[in-house]
Amino acid sequence: MSFDEIGKVFLILLKYLLPTLKVFGMTLLFSIPLGMIVALLKMCKVKPVSWLMNIYIMIMRGTPLMLQVIIAYFAIPMLMQNAATPAWLNSLLSGVDIKGDAYMFRSVLVAFSLNYAAYFAEIFRGGIESIPKGQYEASACLGFSRTQTFFRIILPQVFKRVLPASTNEIITLVKDTSLANVVAYAEITMKAKQQMQLYSSLTPLVLAGVMYFVLAMVLSLLSSFIEKKLSYYK
Amino acid sequence: MAMLEVKNLCKRFGDLEVLKDISFNVEQGNVIAIIGPSGSGKSTLLRCINQLERADGGTVKVCGMDMLEQKDGKAVYASAKTLQQIRLKIGLVFQNFNLFPHFTVLRNITEAPVHVLKQNRADAEKTAMQLLEKMGLGTKANAYPCELSGGQQQRVSIARALALKPEILFFDEPTSALDPELTGEILKVIKSLAKEGMTMVIVTHEMAFARDVADHVIFMEKGLIVEEGAPSQLFGENATERTKQFLQRFSEG
Repeated sequence: MSFDEIGKVFLILLKYLLPTLKVFGMTLLFSIPLGMIVALLKMCKVKPVSWLMNIYIMIMRGTPLMLQVIIAYFAIPMLMQNAATPAWLNSLLSGVDIKGDAYMFRSVLVAFSLNYAAYFAEIFRGGIESIPKGQYEASACLGFSRTQTFFRIILPQVFKRVLPASTNEIITLVKDTSLANVVAYAEITMKAKQQMQLYSSLTPLVLAGVMYFVLAMVLSLLSSFIEKKLSYYK
Repeated sequence: MAMLEVKNLCKRFGDLEVLKDISFNVEQGNVIAIIGPSGSGKSTLLRCINQLERADGGTVKVCGMDMLEQKDGKAVYASAKTLQQIRLKIGLVFQNFNLFPHFTVLRNITEAPVHVLKQNRADAEKTAMQLLEKMGLGTKANAYPCELSGGQQQRVSIARALALKPEILFFDEPTSALDPELTGEILKVIKSLAKEGMTMVIVTHEMAFARDVADHVIFMEKGLIVEEGAPSQLFGENATERTKQFLQRFSEG
């Protein structure tokens, strides 16, 4: 490939960085709060609730994300075609526009968010359980309510403790966004594959690799920076 | 006036009876030392009074408010509102301080006054600074707990408890996590609080200190009060054999 061609391919891939970042950012936006809720529900003393969360986490972690993306994408169209689907569900689903790009993005986002929430939930649970009991007891003796204790005393400390493990997940997520191409969601990997075929060259794939690498680096530097900022206490 | 009335307090962990029928009173301005071997229930007793454990039976009255009552043979706790009122009347100083590591020393002390008592921050900080001066930590207001020695951390935790202006202050082995040198500075603080007339209940292994500061000593073993009275009695010739034996083992070290 000539330099000109490489430049052209690079610009095309750069354009598709946005959809990649869209999946990445939106997944974080949904999966982190959802992960926190799942973590709290899993620690809930009502056993069935805790079991339910366990099953959810087991399924999400025990099956491939790619499979989950495919299922999320095809579930609604398949149900609509299936004669066995009850009428009420059919009428509910018929309102969904399954042809547009928006649907594609949403189904990818649903699969990613549910999957990552499960991983985040386990990280957060570990973080919450690692806070010494004495912190809760001191808070109780000082008259803090349970909500105040959680948000003022426990959560800030949990944040610091889960940062390294969460960074791991977040960097994995950047690379996992490439799985969205399995349902033809147009992002970097998909475009790189197309360009590879167009030019019969591996260079577009290497360029895509460099882009993921840079993203991962930026995230890892950002995480080190925050970690340093939080190192004022132990 | 009795600040604290404990009657027939019982607490079980499974089959293990940790507290069997504990009764004692604390009058205003009293300094009570609770001594006894490990596993005698001293800490559990403080934890029950401070609502960190649920007692199984008996009655507890704090500053005239019923915290725990016996109704039809069952232990019944007061309403959540009363329990919170009681909580704010008493303070607890822990063996391992339990300061909030992510807050500065000042914020450790002001957090509860600001968010629980809804004081304005400036007032809370003024009180906190006065308390820190009193503890000899005026220059440490903006330090974080991890930057302080154990003795300094414990003084901060005493200041934190005092910031809520409690009627009674409880200490759960306040010097057990400290080396002998640092132990001295905490005992000095407690002594000066005693001089100011602060009502205190102190679980301690510092026998000399208990003798010096307390005006009433309770010796506990196996969930029971074996003997109680003035320090001169428990540490004197007329103490029961068991008390003598325990204290002797202590002085042997």
